[in-house]
Amino acid sequence: MLQAIGAAARLSRTGLSRSLPAFSTSSRLSAEDPARRKEAPIIDNETVFATPEEAKEKMTQAVAITVPTKVDLSSISGVPEEHVKNRRVRIYQPPKNAMQSGTNNIHHWEMEFDTRQRWENPLMGWTSTGDPLSNLKIQFTSPEEAIEHCEKNGWIWFLDVPKIEKDFKPKNYGVNFAWNRRTRVSTK
Amino acid sequence: MWSLQRMLRQPLSRALALSPSRLAPLTARKFADQVQAQPDNVELFIDDKPVSVPPGTTVLQAAAQIGVEIPRFCYHERLAVAGNCRMCLVEVEKSPKPIAACAMPVMKGMRVKTNSDLTRKAREGVMEFLLVNHPLDCPICDQGGECDLQDQSMAFGSDKSRFTDIHFSGKRAVEDKDVGPLIKTIMTRCIHCTRCIRFASEVAGVDDFGTTGRGTDMQVGTYVEKMFLSELSGNIIDLCPVGALTSKPYSFAARPWETRRIDSVDVLDPLGSNIVVATRTNEVLRILPRTNEEINEEWLSDKSRFACDGLKRQRLVTPMIADSRGNLTPVEWEEAIVAAARALRDCPPNKLLAVAGELADAESLVALKDLVNRLGSENACTEQYFPLEGAGTDLRSSYVLNTKIANVEDADFVLLIGTNVRFEAPLLNARIRKAFIHKETDIASIGPKVDLTYEYIHVGDSASIVKDFATGSSSHEALKRLESAKRPVVIIGADQLKTPEGPALLAYTQELALRLQDKLADKEWKVLNVLQRTASQVAALDIGYTPGVGKYLQDGPKVVFLLGADAGVVTREALPKDCVVIYQGHHGDAGAAIADIVLPGAAYTEKRGTFVNAEGRAQQTLPAVTPPGKAREDWKIIREFQIPRFCAAWIQRLPATRLMSSVHLVGGRPMLRLPVRGAIPAFLGTPTSILSPNYVPDCHSSFATR
Repeated sequence: MLQAIGAAARLSRTGLSRSLPAFSTSSRLSAEDPARRKEAPIIDNETVFATPEEAKEKMTQAVAITVPTKVDLSSISGVPEEHVKNRRVRIYQPPKNAMQSGTNNIHHWEMEFDTRQRWENPLMGWTSTGDPLSNLKIQFTSPEEAIEHCEKNGWIWFLDVPKIEKDFKPKNYGVNFAWNRRTRVSTK
Repeated sequence: MWSLQRMLRQPLSRALALSPSRLAPLTARKFADQVQAQPDNVELFIDDKPVSVPPGTTVLQAAAQIGVEIPRFCYHERLAVAGNCRMCLVEVEKSPKPIAACAMPVMKGMRVKTNSDLTRKAREGVMEFLLVNHPLDCPICDQGGECDLQDQSMAFGSDKSRFTDIHFSGKRAVEDKDVGPLIKTIMTRCIHCTRCIRFASEVAGVDDFGTTGRGTDMQVGTYVEKMFLSELSGNIIDLCPVGALTSKPYSFAARPWETRRIDSVDVLDPLGSNIVVATRTNEVLRILPRTNEEINEEWLSDKSRFACDGLKRQRLVTPMIADSRGNLTPVEWEEAIVAAARALRDCPPNKLLAVAGELADAESLVALKDLVNRLGSENACTEQYFPLEGAGTDLRSSYVLNTKIANVEDADFVLLIGTNVRFEAPLLNARIRKAFIHKETDIASIGPKVDLTYEYIHVGDSASIVKDFATGSSSHEALKRLESAKRPVVIIGADQLKTPEGPALLAYTQELALRLQDKLADKEWKVLNVLQRTASQVAALDIGYTPGVGKYLQDGPKVVFLLGADAGVVTREALPKDCVVIYQGHHGDAGAAIADIVLPGAAYTEKRGTFVNAEGRAQQTLPAVTPPGKAREDWKIIREFQIPRFCAAWIQRLPATRLMSSVHLVGGRPMLRLPVRGAIPAFLGTPTSILSPNYVPDCHSSFATR
């Protein structure tokens, strides 16, 4: 699905589609999209030439136990129902801190819950909250993993994907001194 | 000979106090697509990993392509290369000395070692030089915790100091500069990376910063004491890799690890810049930009950055009703809602008026329009006017930035009509300036002569010029340039359309844009742009609000519902004496001052609201803090009127996400569908609407349980 978003973004010059959040669908994990298959499955030679006995034996071996692809842990995870049904999970890539140039800690995906009330604790001045999920920030290597995790837990998720990749343009020290271009710098 | 003259003339023109960047000749330009196709890539090896990049790429960029990050202080990917901090020194095989990766173009077969002994020694040496003159005041420095110098001295610096001169000549100390009320300078901490200088001259276009002196005497400053008068000034706080430039309003307020960062969207200008809201204990402390290449890149305008202190002041924290003497007195929600509902119920439909303000989110706009329509009225309008002659607001392309903010960069000629982009949309202006500098785009402007930070052709001040342009009867150079442009952009300011000649101005601008559009080879390119002034306008027009209140005010409304309408277009003088004004919003401003009933709403940092920016992009703000006092999310307040009372309790039991996720974005247009309309479960009995005549307030209402 992410590839689809990316492809749509590349196709449209406006790039608007890129920031459109994708919303959760229950049918996502159900089955592979038949439209994406380009051709009929190729039957291998052994299957064609097998004797009925061989074919039967192979069939019995090949019969696999199918596990339903959509697993819902919300009923057994122990998370209060209110937090499963009322919360919305945002899946995103952590943005680079504008104050720093390092990017080592942002090459992953995260999920976080919507913010609920926080207040200053009168005892120590620390921040208190009644929200047990307020610090649940889980890191993932890809958005697909995060989506799967949310669907398993029954959380409603949405994907926030602003365009952060800068178009590549070679930098040039010389343009600072170009005498006929506007990139010439006035001060050093 | 000719070129020699040019070269000789150059310093003279520079001496004439104009930045040379503004004096580049208008001829001999190349459009981006005329540039020759990329020649073959160059292959080199970084830490023995092969990487193939276009020729002219710097070593640092090539390393970034394969995820090798070379430390840097002066280099910034959105600024020119300076090459003066030397932190990016790396070893290159067969090179006698380490090279500065940020400025060195790649060469074929180059073998770069970013983690060799020589490289590390070079970095350590640079670190030592930087730290010799850097004060050890990290414990009281606002940058502490998010300081590049701190981080990099931990990663690449030496484990011990050889600085022993503390008793003889001591560390360098520099007098602080005063550059205005937003930026605090502690110049002793400056490491002379010159990022602020480059930002000021390249992006902000205010060439005030520079250096004086050399070596240990070098200082960054404004030469003479002067305020940094730029609408983008706050960005130099972000750019400064140390704590030399910090935020004055935020000084000594918090440490970065104490704050919680919530990604959100700005609503204070029409562009909808992406922001990060830093909060602590239910208080917004500061706002930082968040990278979005399609909107704000990495910058943020000063208004968006520094306006967050206003979220704590002059807030409406409790519902209020005007008493017999006209003073607003605090009441409970129940009372205020019932009073407002009675007023709405008793109002003849044609005498009801709803006015949406500048900061209204799409959810509450939809809810308010539904409410008004349900009461039989069509009078839902916005404060900002837009001409309704011709197609009016029927077509979306007639009131948004069709080119899109990011594509303005690719334009080869920009015509501004009646807009001071610099203050109406500072980051759009930064884009135009970027195109001006890097893509040699030229700009012409019809309207008052203002400083847009770049040189432009000032065509004139009269609206009739637009007519001449549209009909092609003008012989002005700008029209010829516009007609010959491959990717022209015409931007008209929405404020101009309020004037009596507004409809004609818009019509001629549309005609001009259409004429240009028809001639384009690139059919995808859009010419016409309308720059709205407010964050809510595009969403409101999408939803079907009528722009402008003028004709509704003449009808003498009996009840006016102001949804954050604070621009002062609805005044008490313009309304009949017995008119009931209901104000819903988050700040006590012009709207609340004239109101009989005040319903406190949430500001943009306190609610999840969809905003559609000037280019028609729907984005959502996320709640960072909770609304103060008894204030509530706006769409929920309006829903209280509309839904029957039983249902109000019922809706509270519904998961909030179910309601909110029913905000659909259909082609960028938000539409709210609530499951409750006409779908009330039978077991709840006959619902009594708050708007129905036999409604009696009860203590089991949703407000009582809140």
